[in-house]
Amino acid sequence: MTITKDHIGGLVFLGLSVAYGYYAGQIPLLPGDEFEPFHAQTVPNALALLGSLLSVALLLSATRSPGNKLSLRGYDFPLVSKLLLLVVLFALALEWVGFLLATIFFLIGGYWLLGERRIKTLLVASVPFAVGIWFVLTQLLDIYLAPGQLFSQITGG
Amino acid sequence: MLDGIMTGLTTAVMPFNLLMVVVGCFAGTFIGMLPGLGPISAVALMIPITYGLDPSSGIILMAGVYYGAVFGGSTSSILINAPGCASTVVTSFDGYPLAQQKQAGKALALAAYSSFTGGTIGAIVLLFAAPALASVSLSFQSSDYFALMILGLTAVAAFSGKGQVIKALIMTVFGLMIATVGTDVTSGTTRFTFGSVDLIDGISFLLLAMATFALTEVVMTILKGQHKEEEEQIDMSQLGSMKLSKEEIKQVAPTIGRSSVFGFLVGILPGAGATIASFLAYGLERNLASAKEKLKFGKGSLRGLAAPESANNAASTGSFVPLLTLGIPGSGTTAIMLGALIAYGIQPGPRLFLDNPDVFWSVIISMYFGNLVLLILNLPLIPYISRLLVIPRPILIPLILFFSITGVYLVSFNTFDIHMMALITVIAIFLKLLEFPMAPMLLGFILGGLMENNLSRALTISDGSFAFLWERPLTLSIVVVAVVVLLLPPLIDLYRSKKKPSTEVRGPETAITEGEG
Repeated sequence: MTITKDHIGGLVFLGLSVAYGYYAGQIPLLPGDEFEPFHAQTVPNALALLGSLLSVALLLSATRSPGNKLSLRGYDFPLVSKLLLLVVLFALALEWVGFLLATIFFLIGGYWLLGERRIKTLLVASVPFAVGIWFVLTQLLDIYLAPGQLFSQITGG
Repeated sequence: MLDGIMTGLTTAVMPFNLLMVVVGCFAGTFIGMLPGLGPISAVALMIPITYGLDPSSGIILMAGVYYGAVFGGSTSSILINAPGCASTVVTSFDGYPLAQQKQAGKALALAAYSSFTGGTIGAIVLLFAAPALASVSLSFQSSDYFALMILGLTAVAAFSGKGQVIKALIMTVFGLMIATVGTDVTSGTTRFTFGSVDLIDGISFLLLAMATFALTEVVMTILKGQHKEEEEQIDMSQLGSMKLSKEEIKQVAPTIGRSSVFGFLVGILPGAGATIASFLAYGLERNLASAKEKLKFGKGSLRGLAAPESANNAASTGSFVPLLTLGIPGSGTTAIMLGALIAYGIQPGPRLFLDNPDVFWSVIISMYFGNLVLLILNLPLIPYISRLLVIPRPILIPLILFFSITGVYLVSFNTFDIHMMALITVIAIFLKLLEFPMAPMLLGFILGGLMENNLSRALTISDGSFAFLWERPLTLSIVVVAVVVLLLPPLIDLYRSKKKPSTEVRGPETAITEGEG
C-alpha cells in the first residue's frame, strides 16, 4: 500500500482533532452553563467533530497515485533548521544583550549561513543597517527598547 | 453619497496619505517582484508599520502595497519568467515570449496600461456597488452574519482547486481551532492555554500572518534551494520601445474592457480572487479569438497579455467589495487587511461606511491614485526598480526574515512571540510539503471569533434551536448558496470524469492551490 501525502495529512489532522476534542472537554464551565444553549465548549466540540469527519473524508478519498507520495529529497533541511535555530537564538539574544547587538548577530549569522563569507560584506551589510534601524526606532519613533538583562545585571540597574 | 466621496477625497489627498499611496506602490512593486513573495506576504510585512498610523492611512498604505505587488509580480513574469505570485502566472504565458522577442518594453507598458484600466474600471464599479450593498446589508442580523461567514469559508475552500477542497476545509477548521485558543469572550474562561500566561490573550493575528506567509514563504525558497539561483541579469538596453501603435491599441481595447468587468465580478465572489480571475479571463479571451489569433496565444499575443493583466487588477479591486460591505474578505490578502482593521478597533461590515466614512471612502478614492501612481511613476522607473533584484539573495533573505520577526516583536515586545513564530513556521512548512493551502487557515482564524459571537447570539435568541438557519428567508438563501458552492466542485468533477477528460489548456488548478490573490 502506498502512503500518500493525503494519508499523512489525514492521520495528522485526525490525531489533532481527537486531542483537541479531549482538551475541549477539559474547558472549565461556569456553574449552570451546561443548561445554556451556548457555552465555552460549544464551538470547540463542534470543531473537533468537524475536524475528525473531514480528516476521515480525506483519508477515504485519498488518491493512491505514486506521484502523490511525500518525497523529502532535494530539500535543504539542514540549512532551514539552522536558520530557524538562529531565529530562536535571536529571541534569546534580544533578552540578554539587547536589540542592537542581537540584530547585528542575527544578520551576520543569516548572511553567513546563506553562504556569504567576505568579512567586509558581512559587517557592511549588518552594522550600519542595525544602527540605522535602532536609531529610527529609539530616536525618531521614540520606542523604548529594553537594554539586555546582561547589561542591567552588570551595571546593577 | 456625494458627501462620502468628498470626505474620502479630503482624506485621501492629505499629503501624508498621498505619500502612503506612493510608498505603498513602490514597496509593493519591489516585494511583488521577488519570486515567491506575493501580495499576501507583501501586505503582511506592512502590518507592523501601519500600527503606528491612523486607520485610513494604514489601509491606504496596504491597498497601495497590494496593487504594487500584483504589478511587481507581472514585471518579474514578463522579464524573467518567474511570477512573483499566483495571480501573475498567466501573465508569463504571453509576456515572457514577448520579452524574448525583444519587446519587453511593449509588454511592460501594455501590462501597466491593462492594469491601470482594470483597476480604474474596478474602482468605478466599486464606488457604486459598495454603498448599495452596504445599505442592503444594514438589515442583517446575527444569524445572517453567521451564515455569511459560513459562505465565505466554504467559498474559499470550494475555489481552492481540484482535489484540494477537503484539504482547504480542514485548514479552515484548523484556523477556527487556533482562534479558540485564549480567553473566551462570552464566558471569560481560558481555553487551550495549558497554563501558559503568554497564551491567555490568544495567538495574535499578526504573528500568525507573518509566520505563515512572510516567514514560511522565505524559508520555503531556501528549502527548495531557490536562493542559489542567480537572477538573470536584465539587460536594460533590450527592453525595446514602450510605445504601442494605434492598431495594437485598437486590438487590445475591447479585450481590456471585457476582462476588467469580468475580473471585477470574479473578484467580488468570496474566495475567488485575482488568480482565478486571470486564468478565467485568459481562457475567455482565447475562446473569443479567431482561429488565426488563437495560434498566437502562448507565443506572445498582446491580447493574451492584456486579458489576465486587466482581470487580476480589477479582481483585486473587486475583492474589496465583500470586505468593505460585509466584513468578509474575498481573498487571502483582504483577509489580512480585515485583521488589521479589527486590530484598529474598526469593525468592517455594513456599518463601516456609516461609522467610519473616512476609512471607507478614502480607500476607494485612493485606489484611483494608486492606479495612477503605478502608471505614471512606476512604469518609467521599472528599469531602476528591477535593479534592486540584483541584491544578492544571501543578503536579501536575512533582511526579509529580520523585518518579519521584528515586525511582530515590536508590537508585543515579548520574545515568546518569536519562539512561537519559529514553531508555527515549522508546522506551516510541514503542511505545505503535504500540499495543504494556507489562505483558508488564516481566513478561518480571522473569522473564528466573529463567527462564535454571532453563533452565540443567534443560538441564544432562538433558545438553542438551529431553526435560525432557515427561519429568515435571507439566512436561508445564504445557507443555500453556501451549500451549493460547497457541493458544486465535487459534482462538476464527477460529471467531467464521466464525460471523458477534455483537452483544456492549463487550467487554473495548476496554480491556485495557494489561494492567493
